[in-house]
Amino acid sequence: MEPLSHAFKERSVWALQDETLQVALNRAKDGFAVKRAKAVDALPEFESLRDRAVAIKDHTLENLDHYLERYAEAVERSGGKVHWASSAEDARRIVVEICRASGARMITKGKSMVGEEVGVNGALEEAGFEVVETDLGEYIIQLAQEPPSHIIVPAVHKTRGQISDLFHQNHQKYGLTRKLSEVPEMVNEARQVLRDKYLAADVGITGANFLIAESGTSVIVTNEGNGDLTCSLPKVHIVTAGIEKVVPTADDASTLLRLLGRSATGQDMTTYTTFTTGPKRSGDTDGPEEYHVVLIDNGRTSMLGDQFREMLRCIRCGACMNHCPVYGAIGGHAYGWVYPGPMGSVLTPLAVGLKEAGNLPNACTLNGHCAEVCPVRIPLPDLLRTLRHREYQLRLGLKPMRWGLAAWLWFTTHPRIYRMGTRVQARMLALLAGRKGRFRRMPLAGSWFRGGRDLPAPQGETFMAVWQRRQRGKGG
Amino acid sequence: MSGGREQVLAAIRRSLGRGALSADARAALDARRGATDSEPLLPTLPKGTSAQVFRAGLEKVSGTMSELTALDEVPGAVAGYLAGHGLALEAAVAPSLESLDWASAGITPSVGPTRGGDFAGVSHAWRGVAESGSLVLLSGPDNPTSLNFLPDHHLVVLRAQDLVPHLEQAWAALREQGEEGWPRTVNVITGPSRTADIELTIQLGAHGPRSLHVLLVD
Repeated sequence: MEPLSHAFKERSVWALQDETLQVALNRAKDGFAVKRAKAVDALPEFESLRDRAVAIKDHTLENLDHYLERYAEAVERSGGKVHWASSAEDARRIVVEICRASGARMITKGKSMVGEEVGVNGALEEAGFEVVETDLGEYIIQLAQEPPSHIIVPAVHKTRGQISDLFHQNHQKYGLTRKLSEVPEMVNEARQVLRDKYLAADVGITGANFLIAESGTSVIVTNEGNGDLTCSLPKVHIVTAGIEKVVPTADDASTLLRLLGRSATGQDMTTYTTFTTGPKRSGDTDGPEEYHVVLIDNGRTSMLGDQFREMLRCIRCGACMNHCPVYGAIGGHAYGWVYPGPMGSVLTPLAVGLKEAGNLPNACTLNGHCAEVCPVRIPLPDLLRTLRHREYQLRLGLKPMRWGLAAWLWFTTHPRIYRMGTRVQARMLALLAGRKGRFRRMPLAGSWFRGGRDLPAPQGETFMAVWQRRQRGKGG
Repeated sequence: MSGGREQVLAAIRRSLGRGALSADARAALDARRGATDSEPLLPTLPKGTSAQVFRAGLEKVSGTMSELTALDEVPGAVAGYLAGHGLALEAAVAPSLESLDWASAGITPSVGPTRGGDFAGVSHAWRGVAESGSLVLLSGPDNPTSLNFLPDHHLVVLRAQDLVPHLEQAWAALREQGEEGWPRTVNVITGPSRTADIELTIQLGAHGPRSLHVLLVD
């Protein structure tokens, strides 16, 4: 999809002012964090599993060519076909060609973030196919013609009222005309509409949480069962997967699965974990006749070769965004591309360029919560800092910010002048603030200092001055 | 198409700063026991028999279970379940269970895959995983996967001797079956279908079964 990350600031302001969105975000905020914490506390081995997961991912990445080749050989042995896509464009072309060759008209899709990344839906619709998302959240945002705002719960930004309206507008054509208000009846209506789509689909497209090299198996994890209906009912099954998804064995995948469910939704095990190997066997009475895997690079090999290799450990659990104060305040759409939150702030600039997405790594308080909860220990704050550094080196940021950073650098490397300056500043600001001790207005600060915020004023002394005074007191 | 393959592999090797691995290096990788070349790290299970641990895991995710003492009791237990849910005594049954005496339990079975017209599906699990209360079902002519997903009620026969502590033991058993070991689909099922996509409210029966009932046969 076309990135809108350049407009991050404007989109954040809209998000903060969107009352409905704020209601939805507040609902989500603590739910995920509490569920995860409970699940993690109940598993004493969680920390050692994290170490193991890091080792699994690092070893696989170090030998990625070998494991991908082994994986591909095993897929072909089981009767499937593997396609390799260097770019998003290659991936779109390959998927469209497979669908055309099979004479398909209707295509069902399980949730696939890499599918969103390369824009599979748009390409298929342009080629004249009917594409139906089957994950309930993805289905809702497809009706709303919006991108996902969360990688696990794509429609987390929608309230039941908005969803009820969407169903009411879009389900009339199926003779479902009653306006719904309760969650169970909405889930039921979507179930009814989508059931017919599953049965009528010619091709089913899913993503993959893992690819297992030893057996040529793709693994998908869903709670709804939509992935299974998508990959077992149509006569063609296409798996779209990033090349970093491969792991050597089913045991390795099992270690990662113990972390994935707990980190994502606080579940010990997601409801349906499905291991698919090739098309239907002779004698099978159901299953697809054709099984294709599209292995997608799209920038991953360049990440493998630079400081961002650790990002390829990501298993797309969403824990980083569930614990991010910035994501919690503005939601996923403000980020302007497929992946939001901390992991998205690393991936988006790498995918669409720092010129487009330079604001994202800067929209971070470096509080480190994301790295604390990341099941594969990706040092997200460090990677974001590296991106900021790169942005500065490429002379991309706003000029006043670059000048400010340069001035700051000069002062901090001249400590004597720095201390004198801050001492004067602290005293001046304390005087200016008067007895209230806080500023309600800030001349020259521009538009950001508005909207009910105030700033506590310094109390007249700098930290260093207080520190030195106390040290002297101690020594004397 | 093969152009794409070479292009991606070459890009990987460029980024790793090396050429293709030698045959020896590849053989060494193949000989490893998984990525870390060590025994899997298996969580300690709570105290109790495997059936008790399994039941606890299953009930945690809203699954239900009844324990039977012989396979012959399955049709009666299925009939009891259907009657208890106010359903007609009809079910889509996996061919592997066809030989049971359904008629004397009053059940009319339709044997084989389903296209969605059946309220209840009965299939058999190849293994049960105590750690998480999960069922491991293999696809095949005798156990069609559509039974696992299309009916509203999924009933699964599991023999107590097929309970394993962790998933890893199931994989070990599958590897022992050799090349033929991996069927088209291995479904690891942990509770009935659910969604939290509307306002994070958990709702059972999103697209798959609304309820999951295990018949554990000792």
